[in-house]
Amino acid sequence: MLEIKSLNVYYGEFQALFEVSLRVLEGETVITVGPNGAGKSTLLKTISGLFRPRSGTITFLGKRIDGLPAHRIVEMGIAQVPEGGWLFPQLTVLENLKVGSYLKGSRREYAPTLKDIYRLFPILDERKKQVADTLSGGERQMLAIARSLMSRPKLILLDEPSSGLAPRVVSRVFEFVKQIKATGYAILMVEQNVRKALHLSDRAYLMESGRVHKEGVRQSFLDDPYIKKAYIGL
Amino acid sequence: MVELLLNAVINGILLGGVLALLAFGLNLIFGVVKIIHLAYGQCVMLGMYLIYTFVDLLGIPLIPACLLTLPLTGALGVALQWLVINPLLRAKANPLTQLLALAGLIIVFENLAQVIWGADLRGVKVPLPLINFGPIFLRASNLIAFFGALLTLLSLYLFLHKTYLGLAIRSTAQNVDSARLMGINPGLIYYTTMAAGGILTGIIAAFFSPIYAVHPHFGGSFTMMAFIIVVLGGMGSMLGGFIGAFIIGIVTSVTAVLTSTEMGEIVALVIFISVILVRPQGLLGIKISR
Repeated sequence: MLEIKSLNVYYGEFQALFEVSLRVLEGETVITVGPNGAGKSTLLKTISGLFRPRSGTITFLGKRIDGLPAHRIVEMGIAQVPEGGWLFPQLTVLENLKVGSYLKGSRREYAPTLKDIYRLFPILDERKKQVADTLSGGERQMLAIARSLMSRPKLILLDEPSSGLAPRVVSRVFEFVKQIKATGYAILMVEQNVRKALHLSDRAYLMESGRVHKEGVRQSFLDDPYIKKAYIGL
Repeated sequence: MVELLLNAVINGILLGGVLALLAFGLNLIFGVVKIIHLAYGQCVMLGMYLIYTFVDLLGIPLIPACLLTLPLTGALGVALQWLVINPLLRAKANPLTQLLALAGLIIVFENLAQVIWGADLRGVKVPLPLINFGPIFLRASNLIAFFGALLTLLSLYLFLHKTYLGLAIRSTAQNVDSARLMGINPGLIYYTTMAAGGILTGIIAAFFSPIYAVHPHFGGSFTMMAFIIVVLGGMGSMLGGFIGAFIIGIVTSVTAVLTSTEMGEIVALVIFISVILVRPQGLLGIKISR
């Protein structure tokens, strides 16, 4: 479904990604692990069009999307949940969700999608009149994920969904990711909490210093002595 | 004396309505495009000249002339976005460069007006009655401007809060990258905002035309007034701007009656500076802490 080939991305003169290739199949949950500064977030932001690659290709459902502006890429069915959520702080919960369905196609489905979202995240229904700024950290992350679902995407890019959350809340967020996965969305996730994320995933990539060092199915990552030592801490 | 003051207060409130509109436009553009539109009052001035041209030189009745002006001032806003603001944003110009570019527009607009229409006062003559309620005398033109301004503000509020486009504008103001991830094209939102801001200057020009005669430097004091109101109320706070507009309207009007028009602006500035000293974020502004 998503096919990335030899991607090179620069911040000015500094190269952040080197020849990165990666793919996500229909309905698959893929996790990218690696230390801070390995280029994981850059990778997601390049897919969603916030950054432009210098070379390499990104193909989604058979169409080239590299170089398209971000708003066009959402239209093709890729929704990104950025690290920290990037909610609209002065909008209410309901308004945040409504912006999520801004695209013409999703606008028509607004009411039924909202119903599904409220079933998945009942707390958002309770808090719908509240300004997003007043939500707790966990609720914010939930709203950010829910908002991305409002566009009825085919692929969801999750950037550090557990970042900055209390351990108890982290488990709940992963519970939600699991539910979303169960509804059939393809997910590409970047996550610090490697053990929890790996258990959710079908396949994984290891990125270090802007390069992909290893790729494989979940079990091969869980069994890898280097991954265990460096990222899981067993 | 009491009657005089009462009249001044009421006229101040009526003026405050239109000032609120001016401040709203400036606030909207600042909030969304992140540009301080220093030539905003000058756009109102050009709008007034357009109305004058339609009415006095082409013989079009006032109301159609005003309606004809709105799309033109809207187009002026779009042209500014295209020719001035977009190049600044593309070049990632620093705030000082942006400010200088917009300040340059003041010179361009004022001289353009002087070349086309000359330096003399130009006014649209509309026979509007003076209405009196007991001791209070009101000009019908001020009343129309006041209620027209409130109606315009209400429509803008509904547009921003009840439509998808309005929601997209508010989202872009709060986080432009996040808005892009929602499928919003910021370029389009900037053009829409500048068009709305431009139409607003046309509406203000329509309300001002029966009250004031226009001259090339007409816009200056209104840009300053709007700027003071926006900062006084709190940058980005629409309600703050609304309250600020009435404070400034009443203060200038009352001081003008007690002393002189020039004194009115001085007192307005003193109040402005005092508020900023105590509350740097403005009356209803949100304190930015990072």
